[in-house]
Amino acid sequence: MALLEVHHLIKAFGGLKANDDVSFVIEKGELLGLIGPNGAGKTTCFNCIAGMFPPTSGRIVFDGQDVTGLPAHEMARRGLARTFQVYTAAGDLTVGENVLVGCFMHTRSRSSAKSKADGILEQMGLKEFRHQLVSELPVAAQKRVTMATALGTDPKLLLLDEVAAGLNPSEIEATMAGIRRIHAELGVTVMLIEHVMELVMNISHRLIVLDYGRKIAEGLPKDIARDPQVIKAYLGERYVREHAAEIGG
Amino acid sequence: MEAIRNALDFSDFPKTDLGVALAVLVFLFCFPFFPHSAFAMATMIQFFIFSLYGMGWNTIGGYGGQVDLGKAQYVGIGAYTTMVCLLRWDIPFWVSMPIGAGLSICWSFIIGYPLFKLKGHYFAIATIATSLVLKDLFEVWKFVGAARGLGILPYKYHPPDFWRLIFKEDVYYYYIIFAFFIVGLLYMNWFRKSRLGYQLRSIKDNEEVARSLGVNVHWAKIKTYAIATAFVSVVGSFHAVYVKNIEPEDTMSLDISILIALMAMLGGAGSLWGPVIGAGVLIPLKSYLKEWLGAAAGLLGIDLIIYGIIIMIISAFEPRGLWGIIEKIRRRRRI
Repeated sequence: MALLEVHHLIKAFGGLKANDDVSFVIEKGELLGLIGPNGAGKTTCFNCIAGMFPPTSGRIVFDGQDVTGLPAHEMARRGLARTFQVYTAAGDLTVGENVLVGCFMHTRSRSSAKSKADGILEQMGLKEFRHQLVSELPVAAQKRVTMATALGTDPKLLLLDEVAAGLNPSEIEATMAGIRRIHAELGVTVMLIEHVMELVMNISHRLIVLDYGRKIAEGLPKDIARDPQVIKAYLGERYVREHAAEIGG
Repeated sequence: MEAIRNALDFSDFPKTDLGVALAVLVFLFCFPFFPHSAFAMATMIQFFIFSLYGMGWNTIGGYGGQVDLGKAQYVGIGAYTTMVCLLRWDIPFWVSMPIGAGLSICWSFIIGYPLFKLKGHYFAIATIATSLVLKDLFEVWKFVGAARGLGILPYKYHPPDFWRLIFKEDVYYYYIIFAFFIVGLLYMNWFRKSRLGYQLRSIKDNEEVARSLGVNVHWAKIKTYAIATAFVSVVGSFHAVYVKNIEPEDTMSLDISILIALMAMLGGAGSLWGPVIGAGVLIPLKSYLKEWLGAAAGLLGIDLIIYGIIIMIISAFEPRGLWGIIEKIRRRRRI
């Protein structure tokens, strides 16, 4: 069953079409990767889905309901959560308080929000950082905070925007395990934007490739890795040579 | 029940803070028993009044980060409602105060809705503008006494009148506003840990993130603005019966708005004790400066100059005010 359907999504900023006729479907329980070169319109696509701004045209159906143009907070309440690429936390909320804000979405009671937040902090390995400011943490932990915060809202669909960017190999490994756990144990459908190929190729059930705002390919990771158009637009010949064994090319 | 428990729960503060707070409260409670001048008494009452204004401002301005420089308009609405109700229809304080708060909240919704479409400095300027416009309207509105304002003639009543809040001795006013102060402090202690409190702080951190966590940013700001307004309006009502003589210039001027914002900003915007610390420093400073320098030397503007300097120092060195400095020192000691 489709959890999210995007039909002919167009988002134009002035004359520039950041998303141009993008259509795809996410099935319930899927782990979908969205890749493409910088400026391909991946984050714009996330923003349209998450209601950060309305699409110029097109239709978005979430959980069987037309949600086109609904504001972000309304989307969050319907079960869509997202992380942000750059977490600009200049403010004074500690890690624990950040997670608490998400947990307050479904309840007014402080004690029940608190106990839920404690559980999530524990799960995400953030308990020790609880009283620190987000800006004081190492990058890997900051990324976990954005995921933990989003999880507080009990999402059906979680959009992850470059949660592995800037991490070292062992941290990437840990992030990958984390995403798998969220997906498997919490039963959350996940869509992720990622430039770190070993993560996105490994973890995704299916991939969508954007280039200049258009969807240029869609399919299984191993097929995408061999797609000439994708290689030309994004992966590059070198990637294919180096990973020839894995993708069987 | 949970709300009351949360309001009374100060457990996240270090013991020393609570000790100091308790000592200050005991002092404030006992103050009228010590020998004091009428001037000191008046200053203390002003301290309570401005602490409460500051607490109200702190909700939207401190926790929410929306710098509001138009709070005086709600002092005016509260004060005038109580005054007009008393003089025209003999409606007592305890009835007119909620009416005033209701009117203030209505007005806050009317202007809050468009105002919160604005961000940052534009919002601040717009709040100043609405407040000044309202003041100008009151200055020509005959029904409320226009620029000359309204006054209560205390001899028409039989003090002590607890119903209308007309007293001869300031000590009655002192304990009434002291009670308001305690209630205000408990409310703020609940507020800062409530859902709205956390949502506001998240808005202040990053609006986009807040929205993605299901926070209706616009509505959260409007709601909080109404809370801030209610605080200010209630105390404005008290101000009216306390000073007994109000005019647009001394209830709704820009000075008052800035002073209200300054309480929290100097003491520590976005912290529970901030407005109290701010008022504790600024109000005696203001009173005694006026007494010693202003009237004597004809330098009536000097308090304004000092406020200006304080604003500059805060914004340059420690945006989180005196409380921010205390917390910084503590943090350093821990590390």
